[in-house]
Amino acid sequence: MTTPEERDSTSLPTATRKEVLLQLSGVGRTYQMGEVSVEVLRDVTLDIYRRELLVLVGPSGSGKTTLLNIIGGLDRATNGSVLFEREDLSTMNGRALTKYRRQIVGFVFQFYNLVPNLTARENVMVATEISREPMDVADALALVGLEHRIEHFPSQMSGGEQQRVSIARALAKNPDLLLCDEPTGALDFDTGKRVLELLSRTARELNKTVIIITHNTAIGELADRVIRLRSGEVVEVKENAHPKSAEEIVW
Amino acid sequence: MSTLDRKLLREFRATWIRLMAIISIIAVGVAVYVELSSVYNNISLTKDEYYAQCKMADFSVELKKAPLTEIDQVIEDFPQVTEFRSRIHFFATVDLDGVSDLLNGEVLSLPDEDSAVVNDIVLERGSYFTGQRDNEVIIHDAFARYHNLRPGTWIHLILNNRRQELFVVGTALSSEFVYLLGPGAVTPDPKHFGVFYLKRSFAEDVYDFRGAANQVIGRLSPPVRDRPDALLQLLDNRLSTYGVYGTTPARDQLSNRFLTEEIEGIATFSNILPFIFLSVAALVLNIMMTRWTEQQRTIVGVLKALGYSDLQVGWHFLKLGLMIGFVGGVVGAVLGFVLAEFVTSIYAQFYEFPELTNRPYPSAMLVGMGISLACALAGAAYGARKVLKLRPAEAMRPKPPAAGGAILLERFTKLWKQFGFSSRLVLRSVFRNRFRTLAGLFAAMMGTCILITGFMMQASIVMLIDFQFRLVQRSDRDLVFKDEQPIDALYEIRHLPGVDWAEPVLDVSCTFRNGPYSHRSGIQGIVTSSVLTLPRDEAGNRLRVPTSGLLMSRRLAEILHVKPGGYVEIEPTRGDRRVRKTQVVAVADGYLGLSTYADFEFLNSFIGEENTLTGATLSVSRSPREVRELDRELKRLPGVQSTTARQDSIDNLTETVIETQSILIYLLIGFAGVIFFGSVLNSSLINLAERAPEAATFRVLGYGPWEVGMLYLRESMVVNLVGTVLGIPLGYLLSVAMTEAYGTDLFRIPVVITNAIVIKTLLLSVFFALAAHMFVQRSIHKMDWLAALKVKE
Ligand SMILES: Nc1ncnc2c1ncn2[C@@H]1O[C@H](COP(=O)(O)OP(=O)(O)OP(=O)(O)O)[C@@H](O)[C@H]1O
Ligand SMILES: [Mg+2]
Repeated sequence: MTTPEERDSTSLPTATRKEVLLQLSGVGRTYQMGEVSVEVLRDVTLDIYRRELLVLVGPSGSGKTTLLNIIGGLDRATNGSVLFEREDLSTMNGRALTKYRRQIVGFVFQFYNLVPNLTARENVMVATEISREPMDVADALALVGLEHRIEHFPSQMSGGEQQRVSIARALAKNPDLLLCDEPTGALDFDTGKRVLELLSRTARELNKTVIIITHNTAIGELADRVIRLRSGEVVEVKENAHPKSAEEIVW
Repeated sequence: MSTLDRKLLREFRATWIRLMAIISIIAVGVAVYVELSSVYNNISLTKDEYYAQCKMADFSVELKKAPLTEIDQVIEDFPQVTEFRSRIHFFATVDLDGVSDLLNGEVLSLPDEDSAVVNDIVLERGSYFTGQRDNEVIIHDAFARYHNLRPGTWIHLILNNRRQELFVVGTALSSEFVYLLGPGAVTPDPKHFGVFYLKRSFAEDVYDFRGAANQVIGRLSPPVRDRPDALLQLLDNRLSTYGVYGTTPARDQLSNRFLTEEIEGIATFSNILPFIFLSVAALVLNIMMTRWTEQQRTIVGVLKALGYSDLQVGWHFLKLGLMIGFVGGVVGAVLGFVLAEFVTSIYAQFYEFPELTNRPYPSAMLVGMGISLACALAGAAYGARKVLKLRPAEAMRPKPPAAGGAILLERFTKLWKQFGFSSRLVLRSVFRNRFRTLAGLFAAMMGTCILITGFMMQASIVMLIDFQFRLVQRSDRDLVFKDEQPIDALYEIRHLPGVDWAEPVLDVSCTFRNGPYSHRSGIQGIVTSSVLTLPRDEAGNRLRVPTSGLLMSRRLAEILHVKPGGYVEIEPTRGDRRVRKTQVVAVADGYLGLSTYADFEFLNSFIGEENTLTGATLSVSRSPREVRELDRELKRLPGVQSTTARQDSIDNLTETVIETQSILIYLLIGFAGVIFFGSVLNSSLINLAERAPEAATFRVLGYGPWEVGMLYLRESMVVNLVGTVLGIPLGYLLSVAMTEAYGTDLFRIPVVITNAIVIKTLLLSVFFALAAHMFVQRSIHKMDWLAALKVKE
């Protein structure tokens, strides 16, 4: 468990020397559906720093997943640019984008998306097999408390357990940028708390950038910054001078 | 093994029945390809070796009688003739102790001393002629085998009207008799017809041919070999003083012609059949892959999100195609080799080679493998392509609903209301999955094509035998004389014991000409009131032989481009040999040879003769004892070159052709079954998987598994039967094309389609679909309904 002092010592430098990881400017995403075009993201301009814990909130359909997909290189912006190390993700070629996803990003999906005929261990291995410096698979599963479920298939696990495998899969890649789409949606209070704690520790201790989508405003108290989306636009950016620890929050 | 490979293996295990079905289709396609090209190679390579070994002649000239010195002198003027031999050539009847059948043979002279000559023999048993006796004989090996004639035994031949005792020194084969046919036969009948080689000196004695010959056979230098006609014309002119009956280039040599045409026929088959299987396989595989990748849409998205490249994900899916192609290719190559072994052994029964064995052809197997892989990969790549193109974010969203709206049929409200709800389900599914439906139709059509072709070929031979031997040639015995005989010979025959009726026959071989078209064939002179030879049209109606002019076979009329009423020029090789013009009065149909009929008297006067005959047709008494006596008499009748019994010809055709054909037809039925089964199984299982929630709902509503199964069965049956019905005309066309490819001037195969064939085809199609449905039903029984309702795809 981290003490407030320790937390201060890690969060203070973050605030003082902010190092930009991703630079989003004027990002928009429009879907063409036959004759009509639907603009689901509009003019999102935002810097994402290294080692920060960012929380993305907003009503359903406000474009959170869409934005996360663009940040993770799963989708391309139709307007604006997403700069990563001076390169624009939205115009990068497929190969470079694959490399970005493989080496930089870890993704926790809203709907877990495990491969049904692979066991928990194998679902994690699918990710570690192509990573440069992966974590030990068993360790990753132990981190999410699934050491006793290693040889189970998704169909033999509850929703929450599947969600935790999905988290282990993302963590095991040891990514610089961890993107989590409602990682606690299917978890009970205690398990959710443990997962959040794990994610914030990942940001603070392992020096990773973590972005979490949530409907749960209480979780925002963990974050360095909370970004609020409404109808595809950033309506609020709230900085937490003193983010709480997972222990302290309740919902 | 990587984790993804492990995933693949588990998927193989889960869908093995469907994979086996697809692999079987590919394997059969490859097997048919490997089989046909192996058989093709076996026969054509063996043929080439054998022809070289025996120094197969490139031409022959038939003469009445010519002094050897004269022949040598003439040939000396033709440097293109690299090698030649003058020999004595006759037909003879054979008299074997204890054999009552009518036996005939071809008698040929060979040098007294063994030397490598044109149309040499290959000894099988015993030895070449020795110096011990004059009257030694070497017998055609198959004939010897049938009659158990070993070297060291004595046999009797009627040579030049005298019964001669001959000592068998050996048995042999020769490249000119690979497909040995007796006069008028279309299939070899080694039991009733053989070849007998005599010492030249002995043949000169018995035929009174000292220093003479009646046949010249020779080999040509390469450029002339392929176009020998001009040279043969010159030879014919130069030798004409010795009575040239005709010249025959190798391409018209009977055995060689049958062999060459058979080889070409195999080549035609090998271009069509494998294509049918492989195209169905590629389609079925494509459908399976499309379904498989659609199902794995989300997984594709996840893998890409995790950092797998398109190539890696694509490769993952292609591995399935590769595995199917590889296994299909290997199984196909092995199966093809085994089939080739079997089919080659069937050919070895008809075509006599010193050794016709199956050899492995790595190149054919590799090509088969390649085709299999290419076809599997194409099917797989095409199926996977759509999903691979998606961006990961898109791939992970649920698939946009397929055109789920009303199908076209529903607009015809009145009609639509006629259908019950389950029919509507079937119709909607059939029309919504258009590609799958089309592929199902295509597979059923191809399966039907194969069935129809097989059944039609079988029916054709039965029909041919029936037409030829029950409708046209109604005689029980056919006699051919050595030379023209006066009409008295007929009266003698009529008085033989056991003869009910006999009719004269005058066969005149001749060259027909019509402007630029010409063809060598013959005219058969029969009496207009004939009851033993009844020319007919295709429908089986009797045609009268005109009192003047010709009743020409349809095929010959086509070759000569002449229509009824038109005139042709005829140059006979008998009688005064003057070229005359005559009218083609009508056209007759026949399947064997190019028989052209004329009135007996008309033909006699046409060639400047009167009342001469070259043969006779007989109908015989019903008493077996009398018939036996007659056959004994016929064998001893002077001047007779050959006597054949109609029943022997029918039996031979039935035993050899029909029986071996049946085996091949069972094979074809099996192959067609693989197509029907594989295609129905694949699409039904996919259908079941896609509509699992629907099926689950029915179960919850209280439907039993068989009732649910019926819904899927109805759908596959509709598609299968429509495909079968569409395939019938297509199969008919394919058969017509095949018969054209196989048909020759010597042997035309009638195209027969009967109700029985159609019914058999429909029944088999239903049967195979039902068999496939049993596996679908098994899946329905095993299905986990709760899971089906719960799981979102
Ligand atoms: N492929 C698409 N085509 C058309 N519209 C789309 C597509 N993908 C997303 N949208 C629309 O974009 C909007 C934003 O979707 P997104 O998934 O980003 O929402 P969200 O904020 O993640 O919502 P939730 O909290 O429910 O997950 C929605 O209105 C959705 O309907
Ligand atoms: Mg979302």
